[in-house]
Amino acid sequence: MSLNKYLRALMMLLCVFTLVSAYAEKVKEDPLDRQMLEIARELRCAVCQNQPISESNADLARDMREIIREQLMAGKSRADVLQYFVDRYGNYVLMNPPVAGPGRLLWLLPAMIAVILAAAAFFYLKHRQGRSLPPPPELSKQDHERVRRARERLDT
Amino acid sequence: MTSATSHLVELGHFSAHLALVVALIQGLAPIAARYTREPRLASLSVNAAILVFVLTTIGAATLIHAFVTSDFSVLYVAQHSNTLLPIFYKVAALWGGHEGSLYLWVWILTLYSLVVAWYGRKRYPAHVPVILAVQGWLMVGFFGLILFLSNPFTRLFPAAADGSDLNPLLQDPGMVIHPPMLYLGYVGFSVPFAFAMTALLTKWDSELWVGLIRRWTLIAWGFLTTGILLGGWWAYYELGWGGYWAWDPVENASFMPWLLGTALVHSITVQDRRQMLHAWNIFLVISTFSLSLLGTFLVRSGVLSSVHAFAVDPGRGAYILAFMVIVLSTSFGIFMAKGRYQEARESITSLLSRESLFVWNNVVFTLACACVLLGTLYPLALDALSGDKITVGAPYFNTVMVPIFLFIVLLMGIGPLVPWRKANTERLRKKLRVPLVLGATAGVLMAVFMRGVHWTGPVAVGLVAFTLTVLVGDYLRAVRIRRVQVKENLWRSLTKTLLMNRRHYGGMIVHFGILVIAIGLVGSGLFRSETTVVMTRGDVVEVGGERLRLEGLRELRRDNYASLEAKLTLLDSGRSVYPEKRRYPSQEALMTESGIDSTPLRDVYTVLAESSDGVRWGVHVYVNPLVQFIWGGGAIILMGLTFSLSGRRRKREEPGV
Repeated sequence: MSLNKYLRALMMLLCVFTLVSAYAEKVKEDPLDRQMLEIARELRCAVCQNQPISESNADLARDMREIIREQLMAGKSRADVLQYFVDRYGNYVLMNPPVAGPGRLLWLLPAMIAVILAAAAFFYLKHRQGRSLPPPPELSKQDHERVRRARERLDT
Repeated sequence: MTSATSHLVELGHFSAHLALVVALIQGLAPIAARYTREPRLASLSVNAAILVFVLTTIGAATLIHAFVTSDFSVLYVAQHSNTLLPIFYKVAALWGGHEGSLYLWVWILTLYSLVVAWYGRKRYPAHVPVILAVQGWLMVGFFGLILFLSNPFTRLFPAAADGSDLNPLLQDPGMVIHPPMLYLGYVGFSVPFAFAMTALLTKWDSELWVGLIRRWTLIAWGFLTTGILLGGWWAYYELGWGGYWAWDPVENASFMPWLLGTALVHSITVQDRRQMLHAWNIFLVISTFSLSLLGTFLVRSGVLSSVHAFAVDPGRGAYILAFMVIVLSTSFGIFMAKGRYQEARESITSLLSRESLFVWNNVVFTLACACVLLGTLYPLALDALSGDKITVGAPYFNTVMVPIFLFIVLLMGIGPLVPWRKANTERLRKKLRVPLVLGATAGVLMAVFMRGVHWTGPVAVGLVAFTLTVLVGDYLRAVRIRRVQVKENLWRSLTKTLLMNRRHYGGMIVHFGILVIAIGLVGSGLFRSETTVVMTRGDVVEVGGERLRLEGLRELRRDNYASLEAKLTLLDSGRSVYPEKRRYPSQEALMTESGIDSTPLRDVYTVLAESSDGVRWGVHVYVNPLVQFIWGGGAIILMGLTFSLSGRRRKREEPGV
């Protein structure tokens, strides 16, 4: 077992470094547990500082995780469960700010800032572009050939 | 305690007041020299800088003495210490609270001021007084806050019988050195800031002062990097949620100056080598320092836990806000009035050149910083303006920031291949071929063999492989060129190439460290396994390919806490982990202490949760792959930085290259 573990771990490193990957085996886990954790990651623990309930050890977080599990067992969807909590705690409970309403600007602004900054940089570069180098000296054919050979030797 | 030791604190308090007066002199000296036309007056600020450091140190020493001797007639000591606290933490408790942290801040500022005075008085005597004066005014601002609104020397009558103890979360070696490192970083940026202000006010030749601040900036950046990494380390080992970075506002507060500081480190190089970006560099210097101030105040004003906490102590909040406004408006005012005193001397030759890529680097880092700022302040502003409460948590930042980080890695790969002034596209294409193929292969292989992984995984791995190949290829190419020119053995060529160009290779080693961290982030961010189970003695839990057996629990007693320690054995290696629950009676506080088994490839991270009946215990187990790469990468970054700093400034630019 130990050998198997190290082999797999080694392979993972190989994949990252030497690009040979053989990490394929799936971890055995309760599927409901995974689903529950995924939703729990999106919900804020109201009594903690900026922690999702998936990571909190507080009682409230544990109760909320239990509620998620019950609702999932009752066949509710991810969106239903999230809505259930929003109805009770408000948008505050979502780790991800809502795309509509008060959070909209938060999602739009990064893209806008990116465009503005990129445009500013582009126009700055264009504006500042000019020739600050003297024109390259005319090389004789012989020198040209010499430079080419030297470059070939140094580059691959 | 005897009355003699009690008097020591009063001496410290007096010294701090005196320090405020001397700092005022430090700030006024060059101004006085100018108006009285008596240039010798300016050199007063050098003496003042030395004196103010000595006085502040006396203040700090008496506070530490009060902590060590448990003098609970000092309110701050009574609030943050306890007779049972180990002495190591008693000393560190100095920065365990609001007042002491601010005092540490100003203490470090006086230290930097002293070093600048010492180092610069012979090298640039004409400018040192003004630089010190700028720092002097900052000290005045901080001492004002400390002495009049949050005074660590305040006495408590009658003295408390015992202190209420240091927050148990802070009783960790990581937390002992984290704040000083962070503050050495924050305050370190006051040096380039003071240089920039001086440059604007005295019309100092840009090429001269920018060359001088490179070293200071790198030092500040190094400390800030260390501080942030230590913060992550502390969160990982101490907070018990299995992660190291939560995009918490407190973390963001330190990350913002880091991002702009990183932009600054790069754009200084452009001005140093190509005489352009003068105004932009000054803007970056001011912004980076302003964000350092903002970071200090965000964390220290309590505004983050709630907008309304800010108003609990209106005096302090208003002072902090006013101080920020004054610093910002003065520095940007001076910048706008005098910022264009020096124009760029050279222009961009080609859009595909290293200087142009550095501009893009600055765009990306500024964007990253703007996004973090937005995500951190938006909920505060929304709450203050409309009363709407929203949470901007880790998922938001991951969505926004990860693509930016990926782009940064891409730039990091292309940058070293593109020469200054103008790139030859033909040669560039040749150099890019191998890294591109390797990077693409890595990404595709990962996408194929690890199906269902988030798209960022293969992209990140591909980019890391690409950049890594570029870094190694760039180095080997330089070695080969050297071997063509110089006859020597391979080992000597390999080391000499590095040693002859420390600034460049120091930077490349830092980049390598960043890549190692990136691998760690991919591994621990995308391949984490976790589970929560209820176990009784002898039960085995399997998660992420690891099997752990609960062997039992035992109770432990320590100086200032009692602990319940579980033992879990990793069946595959035979090693054990010991997660704990600690109870600190002085604060009625319950703390969880994680039990971690680390190998280079993965951490098994266990947290002991509650028990309903004392027999069945909740256990939280995480398997975090490659977390150790993050700390290792951090160590590489610091090595590279030290290596780069050990290099001398190049006197002239060599042609070509």
